[in-house]
Amino acid sequence: MAAVTIKDVWKYYGKTLAVKELNLEIKKNEFMCLLGPSGCGKSTTLRMLAGLEFISSGDIHFDDVRVNDLPPRERDIAMVFENYALYPHKTVFENLANPLKLRKMSRSEIVERVRRAAEMLEISELLNRKPGELSGGQKQRTAIGRAIVREPKVFLFDEPIAHLDAKLRSHMRGELKHLQRRLETTTVYVTHDQLEGMSMADRIAVMHEGVLQQLGTPSEIYNHPANEFVAGFVGEPPMNFLDVRLERSNEGLSVVHPAFQLTLTDAQRHLLENGNAESDTRIGIRPDNLLIESGDGGSLDIAGSIFVTEPLGGDMLIEANLDAETRVMVKTKIREMGGPGDPCRIGFDIEKLHVFNKETGVAYF
Amino acid sequence: MASREIVRYRSPTRGAVQAVTVIFLIVFLIWTVLPLLIMLVSSFKELLDAFQLPAVGDWGDVGVMFDFKPTGRHYVELFTEKHFATYLRNSLIASFGSAAVSVSLGAMAAYAISRAQFRGKRDLLFWIISTRMAPVVAVMVPLYVIFRSSGLVGTLPGLILAYTTFNLPFAIWILKGFFDNVPYAIEEAAQCDGCNRWQAFRLILPLVAPGIGAFIVLCVLFGWNDFLFASIIGSGGAKTLPVATAELVQPVKIQWGSIMAAGVVTTVPMMFLGLLIRRYLVAGLTMGAVRE
Ligand SMILES: Nc1ncnc2c1ncn2[C@@H]1O[C@H](COP(=O)(O)OP(=O)(O)OP(=O)(O)O)[C@@H](O)[C@H]1O
Ligand SMILES: [Mg+2]
Repeated sequence: MAAVTIKDVWKYYGKTLAVKELNLEIKKNEFMCLLGPSGCGKSTTLRMLAGLEFISSGDIHFDDVRVNDLPPRERDIAMVFENYALYPHKTVFENLANPLKLRKMSRSEIVERVRRAAEMLEISELLNRKPGELSGGQKQRTAIGRAIVREPKVFLFDEPIAHLDAKLRSHMRGELKHLQRRLETTTVYVTHDQLEGMSMADRIAVMHEGVLQQLGTPSEIYNHPANEFVAGFVGEPPMNFLDVRLERSNEGLSVVHPAFQLTLTDAQRHLLENGNAESDTRIGIRPDNLLIESGDGGSLDIAGSIFVTEPLGGDMLIEANLDAETRVMVKTKIREMGGPGDPCRIGFDIEKLHVFNKETGVAYF
Repeated sequence: MASREIVRYRSPTRGAVQAVTVIFLIVFLIWTVLPLLIMLVSSFKELLDAFQLPAVGDWGDVGVMFDFKPTGRHYVELFTEKHFATYLRNSLIASFGSAAVSVSLGAMAAYAISRAQFRGKRDLLFWIISTRMAPVVAVMVPLYVIFRSSGLVGTLPGLILAYTTFNLPFAIWILKGFFDNVPYAIEEAAQCDGCNRWQAFRLILPLVAPGIGAFIVLCVLFGWNDFLFASIIGSGGAKTLPVATAELVQPVKIQWGSIMAAGVVTTVPMMFLGLLIRRYLVAGLTMGAVRE
């Protein structure tokens, strides 16, 4: 159990920049999630923490110890690899027992620990099989088992449940989170699945092209994204983005779009004024924060037409045209929305609006 | 994971191919097994019986070849008067000793070359294999001089060393290929588990077992069959089976019975080696460890 400090870390593979000036403090016992799209440098960061990759420049500390030059075994970490990396010639039991054997534990202790881990991961029946005889999901669980049989200073998980089916994945999310809370082990968890990040992490570090975009709690990340990338990456279905102009009017500051016009709140106006916002900006609104009514007799402001409806079981996802060029995604509980081409009315929950600098993507709010 | 069973579909071509295969195998079997059989049978014959041959084309009379009173005299003679036990022991020590040395040094070198990236790696590899390119006779004379001044001529360590100079480059090349096929991620996992480099190396060693098995066979065979080194460097104190057998061919009285028996003694151990090592030659052990 250690606090992890990543300070000014850069990583080059030859000439390719993989991680750029990363600063990250992971607290003791914290569940930190590195979230980002494929190729953004998540695994690279994790591998530098593990000691599997040289650090081009910068420092990594576990508590007060600088670990830059320590090999993996001296860092006391347990890692789950993206590609399992099981020992193909050893049975599942031996795979799990290997880290314990290396620590010279007694046979009975090893058997007991492996049994417990296997039970939690539901692989008890597979202990005598070799990796070649397992399904992808079973391999992945074996790989997780090898990490959790012992109590390391830091857990490093690289997309540990990406290849499980949906049901098992949600089960494992709960199990891993519970395990982390129970063991109170500092954990760095890499994923490209924002749902995993949101549901498990204490804090999330969103990365993009080797650069840390935002660090915050799941709710901060979701409700106050720092920029357009984070706003678009987090949340399912993704946020709607629309190019607009800011215009002053009698009522205050308004957002003007060919299809609609919205008056911002005073608080929002202040934020924009303080940020010296250009008049050409971009707004973002989550599908959950758009309101919709079927037919054209409703009270909402904007008249639109339905493009397609996607029932999701409980909710309904609707793509609606505001005008010829503008289409938005709306999430609603209403079941009867009609079909493509039918009229509808749409409204904004203005409090939940985000405004971004069109050039830099930085959020004003 | 896909099962490794071979799917077979029936078709007329398949039948024809099968027939040709069977015929080929029969011819091949006769070609390889018959000389060995004759050697084995002759080694149990008295000299006179050995020359009882049917006339050419007289297939009905083949029986005379098998019409004899078996005797173990040649074998007894080999191991008593002719000291073949010593030569057998020398052969075993020289070939297996060299195999052991080559395989342990070779595995470590191959591992290092496979895993490390450094400048001149390709040149180093080429230099290693180039030592195998010179014909044995070309290096024989200088090698003999060196060995004699070091007191290695006529000793088993000398012979082992001589074989190793030839086996080691080969070992490095074969085993490097096998190590290249072991995903590096497995070692990374081992290191995270708490292995140091040496333990990680030992952990993946079973994964290159097919390579090691194949190599041991080749290496032992090289030493076992070698005549040139054995007769020049091993001469005297470290006489091996091929040299001893050759000495049975004397100008006046060629001892056919003993030669046949010596042939059998030389062949049988290698057959057992083949059987023993066969199960290690099964490739595909690494399948399924890492998601491709
Ligand atoms: N061994 C390597 N040699 C050269 N470039 C590499 C190497 N490993 C990664 N990269 C590059 O570094 C960048 C970051 O890779 P990384 O593996 O950290 O991505 P990731 O965020 O884990 O992506 P994914 O979600 O697909 O696993 C990528 O652009 C990748 O091409
Ligand atoms: Mg990755």
